[in-house]
Amino acid sequence: MTAATQHKTFSLARVFAIASNTLLELVRLKVFYFLLCFALLFIAVSLATSTLTFQEQFHSMKSMALGGMSMFTLLLAVLSTAMIIPKDIEERTLYTILAKPVPRFEYLLGKLGGVLAMLLVAMALMIPMLVLVLYVKEQSSLAAASRSLAPGPDRDAALEQIRLAAFSADLIPGLIIIYLKAAVCASLTLLVSTFATSSIFTIIVSCMVIICGYVQHFAREHALGAVAVGTVSVMNFLVKGVTILAMLMIPDLWAFDILDDATGALPLDLFAQTASLGGVYIAAYFLIGYLIFAGKEL
Amino acid sequence: MSTPAITIQKLTKIYPIPFKREKVTAVRELSLTVEPGQVYGLLGPNGSGKSTTMKIVLGLVAPTAGRTEIFGRDSRTVESREDVGFLPENPYFYKFLTGAETLAFYGKLCGLGGARLRERTRELLALVGLENAADRRLGGYSKGMLQRIGLAQAMVQEPRLLVLDEPTAGVDPAGSREIRDLILDFKKRGITVLLCSHLLEQVQEICDRIGILHQGVLVREGQLDELISIENQTEMILENPTPELLAEIRAMVGRSKGRVVEEGRPKRTLERYFLEVTGGSDE
Ligand SMILES: Nc1ncnc2c1ncn2[C@@H]1O[C@H](COP(=O)(O)OP(=O)(O)O)[C@@H](O)[C@H]1O
Ligand SMILES: [Mg+2]
Repeated sequence: MTAATQHKTFSLARVFAIASNTLLELVRLKVFYFLLCFALLFIAVSLATSTLTFQEQFHSMKSMALGGMSMFTLLLAVLSTAMIIPKDIEERTLYTILAKPVPRFEYLLGKLGGVLAMLLVAMALMIPMLVLVLYVKEQSSLAAASRSLAPGPDRDAALEQIRLAAFSADLIPGLIIIYLKAAVCASLTLLVSTFATSSIFTIIVSCMVIICGYVQHFAREHALGAVAVGTVSVMNFLVKGVTILAMLMIPDLWAFDILDDATGALPLDLFAQTASLGGVYIAAYFLIGYLIFAGKEL
Repeated sequence: MSTPAITIQKLTKIYPIPFKREKVTAVRELSLTVEPGQVYGLLGPNGSGKSTTMKIVLGLVAPTAGRTEIFGRDSRTVESREDVGFLPENPYFYKFLTGAETLAFYGKLCGLGGARLRERTRELLALVGLENAADRRLGGYSKGMLQRIGLAQAMVQEPRLLVLDEPTAGVDPAGSREIRDLILDFKKRGITVLLCSHLLEQVQEICDRIGILHQGVLVREGQLDELISIENQTEMILENPTPELLAEIRAMVGRSKGRVVEEGRPKRTLERYFLEVTGGSDE
């Protein structure tokens, strides 16, 4: 009748149980399919865009498809993360989970893990679509170029250009950054949901912070510029303080939009730098969220 | 003497009201002990602090003052929850899981897995009579079925203590009777139960000991029999008495110092009558 096993302070099995349950919850949700269908449609529609030269077509198509993927993963991240914890609290399922020997840290980690896994599933469904669309476009462009240009070095060069502009392994770092950006937003939303009282509040606050995250780049330059030419020292101090605080609390999402160059490829050092920035944001938001959640009155 | 299943010492809980200066005292200086094997009923009107007390015992809510323990382990530690199962008030479980998946999920949280978990899931589904609904999603369960899957979930790691917050609230009489029988079954197996309920008749049927809370204060506490028996009266129920016998008894009472306080036909309870008529699950 006594407890058979010694209690573990941290159990990966428990985190995994919560994460896979969260993944199941999100995947069985209608909004997931809705958003995903929309994203797939968007990627497919970008095929229809055809203007100017072949290479430019690829550029606009690629940036449209990647931009679409980036936006949909971000939306999916915020909307799905915003509902999981408030729903558990509202429906009291949280009581039944935390009344088992489950530390709050593991609960929160499992929830984040579930969302990150769901985002992976979404990416895994969108990437083949992207590859397919780029492949179809490549083939049709190659055929059109072969037809319209006379054989010779000019045509060979044009065909080579098209092949280069189509899908290549160069896109992979960019796709990882898109995933990481959504993961940062998920972690941020999880943090907001630890002190929020409802999903809708979580969504509004998270979206506001994310919008600020896009503009903080400019605000920062402006604020620091003002400090440089500032005259009153107290003012300087205040502006600096607020800026630093804002920089800490609001993710610099601009830093993740680095795919706008022609090929969609990414220099390796910039990739490594942005990826580690993403990792730091995810960990920091998770830990702050945990500190709030640990002391939360349920 | 064995360690008590639950120890509550001078427990006080004050909830702040957001954006207001006033505060709600949900529980005030509450002390009580639940011994192993007992079925303890916590009674009181709505808002008297029953749920708050249970949540503090389970470490879900932090006390303002005082201390609670489960089998000698401080409620604030995660380990204290190893030997306890909890069924909250009006619980919802994950609607997207089936009955069997639900039990497997809670089992995994308790460190069970593999063949042992499958075995335990099957056992529990049989225990609460939900084998036929094992593969249906909880979204389609009735209130009574939800309470039963909730009980099974609470029992998943074979805890020695069960904490049940209004286990029969909102359940129809037949379902309510089933839950009562399950609790009696747990009691027979030596499991300690702390429960609160508004159905005083049921509490009377299953509890050994009760405490009555009023506005967060424990106003009465003790063995049920001692609290409710009327010291100077005796009840006698006769089958097929002749009018002569009754006249004789009345005459005898008249000659003695006693007095007939009440005379009439004993009534079956409305619950029993209802179950007889609807052919409920009554034996
Ligand atoms: N989270 C909370 N915040 C503020 N007040 C609360 C909270 N939970 C309960 N209360 C208050 O505490 C008192 C006791 O509530 P509760 O323990 O739920 O009573 P019961 O279960 O006996 O009906 C009530 O007055 C209730 O309004
Ligand atoms: Mg209550």
